[in-house]
Amino acid sequence: MDKSFYEEGETQRTLMKTIVLNTLEGGAVSEQIGTLIKGDEVEVLNTSDKRIAHCMGCNMCWLKTPGVCAIKDDYEGIIKKLVGAENLWLVSDTRFGFVDWHGKLVMDRIVPMLNMYIEFRAGLERHELRYHPLNFGLLYKGEADQEFLEEWSRRVASNLAGKPLGVIKMGEGEPCM
Amino acid sequence: MHVIIINGSPRVQKLSNTAKIIQSFGKGLQAAGASFELYSLSDRREWDAARDAFMGNEQIIFALPLYVECVPSIMLEFLESLPTERRQPALMSFILHGGFDEGHQFRLCERFLQSLPSQLGCTYGGCLIQGGSFMIRLRDDEKMKKAMDKKLDGYTEMGQSFAAHGSFMTPESRKFTGPEKNPWIVHLLFKLFIKRLVRNNFDYFAKQWGCTRPLDDKPYL
Repeated sequence: MDKSFYEEGETQRTLMKTIVLNTLEGGAVSEQIGTLIKGDEVEVLNTSDKRIAHCMGCNMCWLKTPGVCAIKDDYEGIIKKLVGAENLWLVSDTRFGFVDWHGKLVMDRIVPMLNMYIEFRAGLERHELRYHPLNFGLLYKGEADQEFLEEWSRRVASNLAGKPLGVIKMGEGEPCM
Repeated sequence: MHVIIINGSPRVQKLSNTAKIIQSFGKGLQAAGASFELYSLSDRREWDAARDAFMGNEQIIFALPLYVECVPSIMLEFLESLPTERRQPALMSFILHGGFDEGHQFRLCERFLQSLPSQLGCTYGGCLIQGGSFMIRLRDDEKMKKAMDKKLDGYTEMGQSFAAHGSFMTPESRKFTGPEKNPWIVHLLFKLFIKRLVRNNFDYFAKQWGCTRPLDDKPYL
């Protein structure tokens, strides 16, 4: 963990802010999110009603306009919110035992939170943080490989120099009757 | 042997490292008497034809860069659009690459790729893994070009090997990845010396791209 950040930030940051990216169609299961994710200040963003394109790997956010994505869509607002947050939760449906493409998409676009430079963190080659560590957790729906998702979440958290917050399988929700 | 190669990278063909890897690999296939056809998922207009080719052929290779510890979201979207049942059996193999050079960086994605073919009515044909591909795109520099050309020649050899064996389930494919983890001495050298060199290199490339801000800029603070 980036110690200097916490030392610097301690005076300004007393609240832990949590951003939840809900990628489920129509922002489903918002009630469960409220029960499962606790925090001082939790903001849920439904991404299914936003315009967000796939990361196209252009590297502009690392090499031409550092920290600014070349794709001008609704993800810029999400990056701005992540800059002010300590925790990130992804809410996603699953496919092939993994998060589905809607869930993976909002994670692939997180690249501007890191920079081009490389360092070793805990013995692993990693990109440097542009801002500060982000803790990462996953809420998922459907049949998936829990152990695989846990390992993926651990690795995602490690890339963001944060702690893994857990991987939780959601219930089936209210029956439609 | 006829091979369908699907480029799973979202980056436009012209700038795609994956495309250059495929090109070199394809050269090897052809040298060994095999043929191939290429589809690129970065171009939506190729998706229908790519799906048809996937369903109607027996040798399929997906080539992809590592994105956030797994498959790029655009390739996941394509995979989710495929029918899960097929009449014709097929072998599904993968070429996985990425910027970091250590093998262990790719192992989780490899696990996902191993589990994928059976979910699409196919058989797993192995995964060819190599890191350190970031600089393929930046081959303008003479020294860089030499190293990267050598790297791409390696893929041509693997193309020949694939044509001979029909899969990546071979000792040479496994060897192709290189070290699983860099030894401690590399970590030490990196700290003392390589880190600054790499930083300077990145700064240099950024300047060439017309970048006017420091690379560790914090635009939203």
